[in-house]
Amino acid sequence: MMGMARPTSFGRDRGLQTRMFLTGLGLVVVYAILIAALIAAGAGALLVAVIAGGFFLVQIFASDKLALSAMGAKEVSPAEAPQLHATIERLCVQADLPKPRVAVAQTHMPNAFALGRSPKHATVCATTGIMDLLSPAELEGVLAHELGHVQNRDVMVMTIASFFATVASYIVQFGFFFGGGYGGGYSDDDDNGGGILPLILVSIVVYAISFLLMQALSRYREFAADRASALITGRPTALISALMKLESGMARIPKQDLRTAEGMAAFFIIPPRVGQSISGLFSTHPPTEKRIAALQRLEAQLQGTA
Amino acid sequence: MGLWEVMTGKRKVKGPAPDRLFAMSTAAVTLTTQLGLTSRGEAAIVFQALATADFASIVADMQEVVGGTSSDAGTKIESRDDEFGYRWMVLRDEDFEDLVVGINAVSGALQAGGYGDRILAAVFAWANGKQPIYWIYNYKRGFFYPFVPAGGPQSRDSEHELRLQAQIGKELPVEPDLERWFPLWGAPI
Repeated sequence: MMGMARPTSFGRDRGLQTRMFLTGLGLVVVYAILIAALIAAGAGALLVAVIAGGFFLVQIFASDKLALSAMGAKEVSPAEAPQLHATIERLCVQADLPKPRVAVAQTHMPNAFALGRSPKHATVCATTGIMDLLSPAELEGVLAHELGHVQNRDVMVMTIASFFATVASYIVQFGFFFGGGYGGGYSDDDDNGGGILPLILVSIVVYAISFLLMQALSRYREFAADRASALITGRPTALISALMKLESGMARIPKQDLRTAEGMAAFFIIPPRVGQSISGLFSTHPPTEKRIAALQRLEAQLQGTA
Repeated sequence: MGLWEVMTGKRKVKGPAPDRLFAMSTAAVTLTTQLGLTSRGEAAIVFQALATADFASIVADMQEVVGGTSSDAGTKIESRDDEFGYRWMVLRDEDFEDLVVGINAVSGALQAGGYGDRILAAVFAWANGKQPIYWIYNYKRGFFYPFVPAGGPQSRDSEHELRLQAQIGKELPVEPDLERWFPLWGAPI
């Protein structure tokens, strides 16, 4: 028994890494095109980018607080939620992470999410609904999934990934505004760069493509966080059973809750959408069956039967 | 954490850090003579028990190994599960040196079996008079830190812990980042 060399509990997932890398590369290419178009369009367009940059900083530094209050979540002390704190503490030791702030949202909607730009500024939030619905082991799997997001810095990655998409959408929305001032007076001046109309067209294309790429990236990050959860807890099956419970649980949710939560979908363990069939391309989360299948492969590796 | 890991997601749980567990053997003298603490004759290793076929046999082997390591074969070992689903292999021996050796044998057996990354911590039960004190060794980071429960629910005596850190000085590699002094509530030792 002692001589058996098992290097790690799990193998690597090169396919997932490659897909993530290619998606990232795709975003870089699309954004480079946008930057070129911005420069070609001149000062007005660059101003839009600077304004967007300001919003970007606000988003990075304040979005966690805004999102928490939007969800009606409150930070809880160890005395208020001893079980939740103790579970997270042990997972943090295992994942070698500093302890995040712990928050609870008073809602029947069973969900959990992670916020914050870095592991040192992270908050993990669970709803009272999810704590009632799941067993301790299942909840541990879900919390480890959220810590996986923290560990992988997903909030930062997605915020950066969405930056130029945001710029593009501003240009589409307000471009005519900025363009109007110049276009009228200097319409006879042909050599002041590309003008605003081509920029708006480029922006529309960039926004559309980057939107799809970001959704794909977000789905890959979900798989990565599921994987992290399996690594941290050593129990892929606990997360599987949590996902199955959550999916059937989500179907019972009243619609009012969903609209308020819509903007945060990317950071939820299960996106709060019901009664609506969305094509896989437009979704921030992979279908639960696929996530379960990936976790089952991990369990098989763990059992040495893969 | 490198850019590549951020881009593609972290894939590994940290295994045990360079082993500084035996610093506890030497520090035990200072803890006893200068700080006036007493060993409660118990130590434990906390890990996630996996439901795999070979895990149970590794744990069984481990129990035999520990029986054979102590100088007078007096180390008792038993396993207890806590409310968070973690398993505690509790060693009992009046000889503190044997406790440390036993803990090292347990972690060695888990590592040899390929489950080193499942180890959470080693815990040594001490006391100051009637006040229980735990010295926790975080295997991922290779540091010790004190944990003094203050009696009430989820309350710990941080002042006492900081005093212990100052008193032990350089005898033990103490976790420098106070945020990593994670408590272990409901320790069955």
